[in-house]
This record gives sequence, structure tokens and C-alpha cells, in this order.
Amino acid sequence: EAALSRRYVLCEVVSEDPRCRQCIEDRAVGLAVRDAIARVHGDYGLACCSISFTVKYLNAYTGTVLLRCRKDFYRLLCSALPFVRQLESRNQRYPCSLHTLHVGGTIRTCQKFLIQYNRRQLLMLLQNCTNEEERRCIQKSLLSCSLTEEQSPSGDEEDDDGIE
Amino acid sequence: ARPVGRMEPPAVPAATFERRVVRSGAEHHYLRVRLELPDGGARPSVAQFKQLVVSALRELHGEVGAALPVDVLTYEEKSLSAILRVISSGLVKLWSALTLLGFYQNRRCAFRVLQTSPFLLALSGNSRELVLD
Repeated sequence: EAALSRRYVLCEVVSEDPRCRQCIEDRAVGLAVRDAIARVHGDYGLACCSISFTVKYLNAYTGTVLLRCRKDFYRLLCSALPFVRQLESRNQRYPCSLHTLHVGGTIRTCQKFLIQYNRRQLLMLLQNCTNEEERRCIQKSLLSCSLTEEQSPSGDEEDDDGIE
Repeated sequence: ARPVGRMEPPAVPAATFERRVVRSGAEHHYLRVRLELPDGGARPSVAQFKQLVVSALRELHGEVGAALPVDVLTYEEKSLSAILRVISSGLVKLWSALTLLGFYQNRRCAFRVLQTSPFLLALSGNSRELVLD
């Protein structure tokens, strides 16, 4: 009778190699995370975290990944994320690391956090611009952003262009 | 003469017995285990035995399990029995890892846990092996 509680872990894929972005897909990320859990927490940890484990959302442009697992085992998952070293897809592997941004109980709280986080990241990108061309590009996308109220409960996150 | 104006606690009767309950428990737990190797092959040395215990922990509980502080206090190669010491918070991990270990160098094996106690002294006597004459 107890409610099926889950935890949603929001993380960011950070890589020095720009080609790593093409590996950011749900199967590759899911396998990399499960492999890290198996190494760090063994068969028991892998089995615990695999119950209702899934990659709920990912965005290859920003490198954002949303993972889901059972509430009782989210600590096993979170402690294994720093041990993800590479992403492998279509026989290509690139080194990367996962930075945990937020752990929430619902997708909605993670979405709220992600919107605020992306806003702050855009401002930081603007401040750290090296040349005028980039600055104008970012200013244009910032000004063209708009938040539309959607009727459906699962709204998309606010528009931001893929800034490479 | 007692000073006046000072709060005095009510007189406590002398205790006839005192009972202390320690919830924190001991720091370490001790296990007397025996490794069963039904095929009459070469017996593992003490280092190989420890390696076996650590690899069992690594299989079931990963690198975190393998890093658990486990000590082999005594080891008898003839009977393949040993006394292991583990930090109390790791007892469940160690015991479950020993239970689920099935192979040593591709040979079928099994761990039997004979005694366990938070006190090493308690492992010296085993009422199961008591012979009543």
C-alpha cells in the first residue's frame, strides 16, 4: 500500500571532446550508468538500482540527462555517477564525466530546477564571451526566448537554442 | 550540619542490581567460518583465502564491498577454517557475500559460518560441539 516512490536525478554530461555529444543517447548513457553501478556496488547494487531504472529525458545539445530510480536506492545511484568515465555508442567511445545537478522527487521539480539552471548558464555564457560575434549570437537567442503557458501537464522546458 | 536554602534531591534507595543496555554495540564482529572444497585439490594458503573473501565481497557488493575492512585472524590450512573479523556495519555485506560464493578457481566451494559473535572470546566455546557423556 505504500506509494511507489521514485527519485529523479538530474545530471550533466561534461566532456572535453566535442564528439562526445553524439554518444549522448538513452541507451549509451543507461548502459554507462549501470556499468558504473555494477563496478562500484556489485551485483546487489546493480539489481537494486535496476528496479524501475530508466533514462527519462536527455538533451544532447546541453548534455542534460534525467535518470529515475527507486527512492530507497537513490544513494547507490548517486554515489556511482562520479565513476562513469566514458560513453560508448556505435563502437565509438569518448571520455566524459557526469556532474549531478539536482535530485528531486518528481519530474516537475527537476524541470523547475533545470529552467532556473539554464537561465543562469546562459547569463554566464554571455559574461564569458570571448568575441563580439558570440556575444551578439547569445544576446539574440536570449531575447528571442519566451515562455509559453502550456495546457498539458508535461510541458517542455523553455526554448533555448543549442549553443555550441 | 546541612546548609539551609539549598535544593536537595530526594534520597535514592541503594540499588540492589543495575541493568545496563548498550545499544551501540561492539565495534567489530567475529565469524568462525569453514571453507568446503569437496574436490580433494590443493588447499588455498592464507593469502589466497583472504583474496577469496575479498573477491566474494567485490562480486556481490562491488568496489565498496571489497574495501570493507576484513581481517583473517586465524587460518588453519588443514581444516580450511578461519576466524574473520569485520567492522560491525559490514557484517551483513560480508555474510551475504560468503553465502553466495560458489567457486574458487573454477572449483565448486561453499562457506559454512559456524559461529558469530561481537566478542572474540565467545568463539572459543561452541555448545554445538559439546559432547555429553
